Amino acid sequence: MTDELLVIRCQLGEREAFAELVRDWHPVVERYVGRMLGRSDDDVVQEIWLAVFRGLPGLRQPDRFAPWFYVVARRAVMNQLREQYRRPESEPVGDPLEADEADGVVDRETLARALAALPAREREVLMLFYLEDLPVGVCAQICDVPVGTVKSRLNRARKLLHLELVRKGYQA
Amino acid sequence: MTPNEILARLEAPLSLRRRVGYVAVGLAGLTGSALISLLWATEPALPPRTKVAFAVLVAIGLSWVAVAGWAVTRRTPLFARDRVIAAWLGTGAWLVFAVGSLILAASRHRSELPLTGVVVALGLMAAVNLWSARRRRRALLRRRENLNRLGGNE
Repeated sequence: MTDELLVIRCQLGEREAFAELVRDWHPVVERYVGRMLGRSDDDVVQEIWLAVFRGLPGLRQPDRFAPWFYVVARRAVMNQLREQYRRPESEPVGDPLEADEADGVVDRETLARALAALPAREREVLMLFYLEDLPVGVCAQICDVPVGTVKSRLNRARKLLHLELVRKGYQA
Repeated sequence: MTPNEILARLEAPLSLRRRVGYVAVGLAGLTGSALISLLWATEPALPPRTKVAFAVLVAIGLSWVAVAGWAVTRRTPLFARDRVIAAWLGTGAWLVFAVGSLILAASRHRSELPLTGVVVALGLMAAVNLWSARRRRRALLRRRENLNRLGGNE
């Protein structure tokens, strides 16, 4: 079933469609929150779902659900990041590299750690473009910036990620 | 957290009974307040204690309206089906108010032009709201059928 059909069923108020939407999109939410915050956060995940269902009746273009969904999720994550930055005793991000991890292939865990060390804006575009496979135009819409800005952030993010991986002991 | 745990946490905002309940409570508060205000405005000489009692009752009714308004806009969203149910409830509340004002006017043996105007305006609002809610639901149902047909043809 397409996302559009599922969203329309939700907008009509079908209870089974709510459950289906959560089952289909929950892994995406958890992944997004985990990568953006560098850890899982149930409260933020719940906040995102509440905001999604609160906003669903007003969604005018159900075929544009994915970008809208990311905008909602982004808002909750950014609020959390702002809270985090406000706290003086924030934990340092990124752990030292394990000795047995290297072998030419960057595993997911290490990549996630390197991603967590990037600034939030760069991390975000990298995640949306490469890990969520969204086109540049959609990334721009989600981040509420022009396409050119997304491209420059991507460029900067690639360089920062490369530096971060090199710092952790990986060779490009 | 699993999808089922999320669904359990969303039980309250996604409960149809709760959403419609808020609408019903809000409309009941609004209708009650409106009828008491009407009685207050049209009764010539009310003793002060009765005025205070009326004021308290109107305030209670309006508080329920505020709670329900906050709930359906901030906590428990109204989906297309809920909006149609809410619009029918709104029409019912208008009917109660219209009958109440009619009885009041009949008991005074005179017609109140401003009151008639208010009743007609509220009736129009209720009708437009119902029409709009049903139109939105019909549009979504049509789109759902089209997508189902397209999915079936693939």
